[in-house]
Amino acid sequence: MNLDMQIKGLNFYYGGRHMALQNINLDIYKNTVTALIGPSGCGKTTLLRCFNRMHDLYPGNKYEGEIIFQNRNILSKETDLIDLRSRIGMVFQKPTPFPMTIFDNVAYGLRLRGIRKKSVLSEKVELALKQSAIWDEVKDKLHQSAYALSGGQQQRLVIARALAVEPEALLFDEPTSALDPISTAKIEELIDGLKENVTIIIVTHNLQQAARISEWTGFLMLGELVEFDRTEKIFTVPKEKLTEDYVTGRFG
Amino acid sequence: MKREQKRKLQSVVALTLSMLAALFGIFWLVFILGSVLVHGARALNASFFLNDPTPPGVTGGGMRNAFVGQLLITLFATIMGVPVGILGGTFLAEYARGKRLSHYVSMLADIMVTVPTIVVGTFIYAIMVKPLGHFSGWAGAVALAVIMIPVVLRTTENMLTLVPWTLREAAFALGAPYYKVIIQVVYRGAITGIFTGVLLSIARVAGETAPLLFTSFNNSFFSGNMNGPIASLTVTIFQYAMGPYDDWHQQAWAAALVITFAILLVTIVGRMVIKLRYGKK
Repeated sequence: MNLDMQIKGLNFYYGGRHMALQNINLDIYKNTVTALIGPSGCGKTTLLRCFNRMHDLYPGNKYEGEIIFQNRNILSKETDLIDLRSRIGMVFQKPTPFPMTIFDNVAYGLRLRGIRKKSVLSEKVELALKQSAIWDEVKDKLHQSAYALSGGQQQRLVIARALAVEPEALLFDEPTSALDPISTAKIEELIDGLKENVTIIIVTHNLQQAARISEWTGFLMLGELVEFDRTEKIFTVPKEKLTEDYVTGRFG
Repeated sequence: MKREQKRKLQSVVALTLSMLAALFGIFWLVFILGSVLVHGARALNASFFLNDPTPPGVTGGGMRNAFVGQLLITLFATIMGVPVGILGGTFLAEYARGKRLSHYVSMLADIMVTVPTIVVGTFIYAIMVKPLGHFSGWAGAVALAVIMIPVVLRTTENMLTLVPWTLREAAFALGAPYYKVIIQVVYRGAITGIFTGVLLSIARVAGETAPLLFTSFNNSFFSGNMNGPIASLTVTIFQYAMGPYDDWHQQAWAAALVITFAILLVTIVGRMVIKLRYGKK
């Protein structure tokens, strides 16, 4: 199995003081789905947001350690964040369509990269919408506002927007927690199909979801990675007592 | 039973009082609009718009000079005030978000909104009219721009703050630099709100007299020269209404009618835009 990302001794501090992550060591494999689980406030979203350096938007945040991605430490000062974020996309908890048409939403990242040619744009937009299993629902209204779509459709549109720039990895931050069961099932199915092309890291509150869609699972608590292993092991024969208590619902 | 009756009585009293208060307000509003309409309509004719004033005592003439002057002053005030207001509001809502500076500037802008406009007029008189030695259209435009800036700035700031933060994060996550996030995503989400704020600020300054008295003053002749005194509808209304001639009074009424309904129109358009955009959702 090919390694995609290697996290070594990662510490993270919010506002320079509060230590939110402590000594995280974790390997992410190519073309797999890795789930991050744990109780609220355990640091799973914080960890996810390290992978595309989202924390850099706010002053005072500090990383220590290394995240090796494509033979480079993305935590180093030289990292071009614009380039990094086009290689590692992100999908948020609530759908975040931009106030523009469906087409322009998906084309946004492409245009950022300087693609202007109409034919190239249409081709890539169509491909991304097809990959996100929403093409049939929107192909006749590409030039209508994205706000006219339902929440589940908006979330798939946002996934299409992230896919359009052909990233190597996608980060999902509780992508279905604001959706109904049917939309959730569609997104899960979609994620399963996507891993052929991209590496996926997903934060989820929903343990069944983690068990259903991921190959690897990391269990975090109080900013530390308690256990990381194949998903079936985490859910059947975890090594740590804490993990067992959490996945069997004894706390959380 | 008794308690219920008491409550019903209280309800009726409260309803009656609030209805009377509303009627009282509406009565004066309708009275003002009505008398402006009745008196103003009599003097409205083509000559009123197309001709310049005649010498006192000579009947006829119009207010072409004041219309053109008003338009010029308002136009240049908008050109100066709106960009400053929008950029300032953007700075406060985006780059200085959550910082103490932003808080203080917002507070100052709120104070500026409530400053009597005559104070702004005398201020511009002191820094522009006095040093240059003469009244000018530019001074009038600057005075109106100063009144517009805090209004536009605060509206812009509020409208940008309403755009959810996650939308910006989503754009950042696609690799967009901050200025593109603001221009392409945030402004788009807030455009109608900002546009409405701009319209309302124009409506507000278009009705101002006090700041113009000290700056652009007035001019009985046609002038498009912003470097000299220039006529405006509001100051002309003031002058004509105070004047001794009957046809002056007539024309002042007509000018009041035109400016009132122009401002009303701008305001209504502004509110309709909000409704069209936000009412449906």
